Amino acid sequence: MKQLRKYWAIFVVQLLNSLAYPAELLWRSLAILLFMLVFTFLWRATYGSNQSMAGLTLNDTIWYLMLAETIELSRPRFARTIAEAVKDGSVAYLLNKPYDFILYQLAASGGDSVFRILLNALLGGTLVWALVGPPPGLPGWLLAFAAMLGAWLINFCLTALIGLLAFVTEDVAPFEWIYQKMIFILGGMLIPIDFYPEWLQDLARALPFSHLMYGPAKLFVRPEWGAFLELLAWQAAWVALLGGTLAISYQLGIRRLAINGG
Amino acid sequence: MPVIQVANLNKTFRSKQKTAGLRGSLRALVRPRYNTIGAVRDLSFEMDAGELLGFIGPNGAGKSTTIKILTGILYPTSGEANVLGFVPWKQRRQLAYRIGTVFGQRPQLWYHLPAMDTFTLFGKIYELDDGEVKRRIGLLAEAFEIQDLLETPVRKLSLGQRMRCEVAASLIHKPKLLLLDEPSIGLDVVGKQLLRDTIRNMSQAEGVGVLLTSHDAGDLEALCSRVIIINHGQVVYQDKVSNLKRNYLTRKEVGVRYAAQVPPGFCVDGAEVVKAGQYGVKLHFDTRRTPVDAIMSRIAEQGSVVDITISDPSLEEVISRIYARVEAGSSHDAADKSSRRGR
Repeated sequence: MKQLRKYWAIFVVQLLNSLAYPAELLWRSLAILLFMLVFTFLWRATYGSNQSMAGLTLNDTIWYLMLAETIELSRPRFARTIAEAVKDGSVAYLLNKPYDFILYQLAASGGDSVFRILLNALLGGTLVWALVGPPPGLPGWLLAFAAMLGAWLINFCLTALIGLLAFVTEDVAPFEWIYQKMIFILGGMLIPIDFYPEWLQDLARALPFSHLMYGPAKLFVRPEWGAFLELLAWQAAWVALLGGTLAISYQLGIRRLAINGG
Repeated sequence: MPVIQVANLNKTFRSKQKTAGLRGSLRALVRPRYNTIGAVRDLSFEMDAGELLGFIGPNGAGKSTTIKILTGILYPTSGEANVLGFVPWKQRRQLAYRIGTVFGQRPQLWYHLPAMDTFTLFGKIYELDDGEVKRRIGLLAEAFEIQDLLETPVRKLSLGQRMRCEVAASLIHKPKLLLLDEPSIGLDVVGKQLLRDTIRNMSQAEGVGVLLTSHDAGDLEALCSRVIIINHGQVVYQDKVSNLKRNYLTRKEVGVRYAAQVPPGFCVDGAEVVKAGQYGVKLHFDTRRTPVDAIMSRIAEQGSVVDITISDPSLEEVISRIYARVEAGSSHDAADKSSRRGR
């Protein structure tokens, strides 16, 4: 219980910390307005006079993209922070308290995400509502937000793993770049993967990226219990696999830790 | 029983070597060459419970590396260490409940939040009861004179205020041992004094052992009862501070400004004139041979004094003298020495 309280406290402190500069938080969230505006014009032109494509209406697609953008723009990007901390040795200074480093990062980046998700969804949602009409109903919101938890965890594991690559490579920026493009294409951030040919859809579904992006976004516009449970199962499996890999990598990495300075 | 026991501790770092230019880069890519640096070399020492031990040496001497090994955040290459009955790098988390750490150059307080938030968070991290934490914060706030600072975001505090909060934060969980890495770095004279006084008082009141690294001789004089000087990762001197003072901190430098011009051939009995200008002179003297008051009166006899400063030799000077003495008496081979200079 005290263990749980510890990480909860870290979560709360980081949550407060993210509010230190509300103007900056708001300013950064404005990006979603630009993206949604561009997406709406693009997809309007794509749909033309079509009522529906790949089983989705224009309204569905735009609201799908709004949620996908919310996930993308709010996901914690701490890979380079971890990488820097590993490289210059400052990771050591995060280890001098009785907590688990990975769980500490989990709690801290969780606290960092909350207001960003809310602000992005609020701003993006308001604009999209004005542009293409009302959002999906309550079930869509509930299922999507529940699925975003699993999505957040998958992203956390992958980002932390990329950060820990700094133990072996000098620079992790290329991996971050590849990861982001994977989310864009195979995650279904630019285009819902329903639009892909069958074989590419199968490939995308077999990889973790779609479960952190397409999964929640599709549930948002098509809230179905079956799909929800299937997604949860996929997410649980990926979190278990990636979380295990992360724990092992961290243990191996920390032994090799060589701290500069002294 | 000692709270810290270190025996034959070694830590070497491997760093990639690269010659300049594109060719060098390519060669390093194909066949990387590594340079091994011994940051800590065969270090052995002990520290008793409640002791105030100063660990000093120039930059790169291995002070911080040793502290990092003792807190368990760095694995040694070889050797043994025991801190409060734990092997630090094997039992880091158990040890973390019992020690407090401050790294002067790496703040642990949340920068944008009031110190109070970090204090409360640390209470949770160390798994203390809320009531206990509250009482403890009250006590520490009074001891460190930070009552009025607790609600201010840390970024708005002065460095001195922040360091007092940092050290107070490291004492939240009543540790038995405090490891302070350069706590006084960057502080002004008043800030240093206040911090030293508080650390000493807290140590006496709660029986906390303090291991403190510094490259400021003042920290030693004001705070520590015993000193270990290390250089190139090795102990070059360890003794009581009173002995160190008697043996090494006896040389003083005096700067004097007179109202009238200094006559040519100016001299003061018992002191050596290092520099003489039109109105000012700089003197060196040894307090063992000539007492301070004697020098002062002789200086005053020479004319009307406008300004005077007396300063201690810098720690670097003291260390180099100690080191020169060690070097002269030891049997280090020449190759060993040159490799160290090469760093």
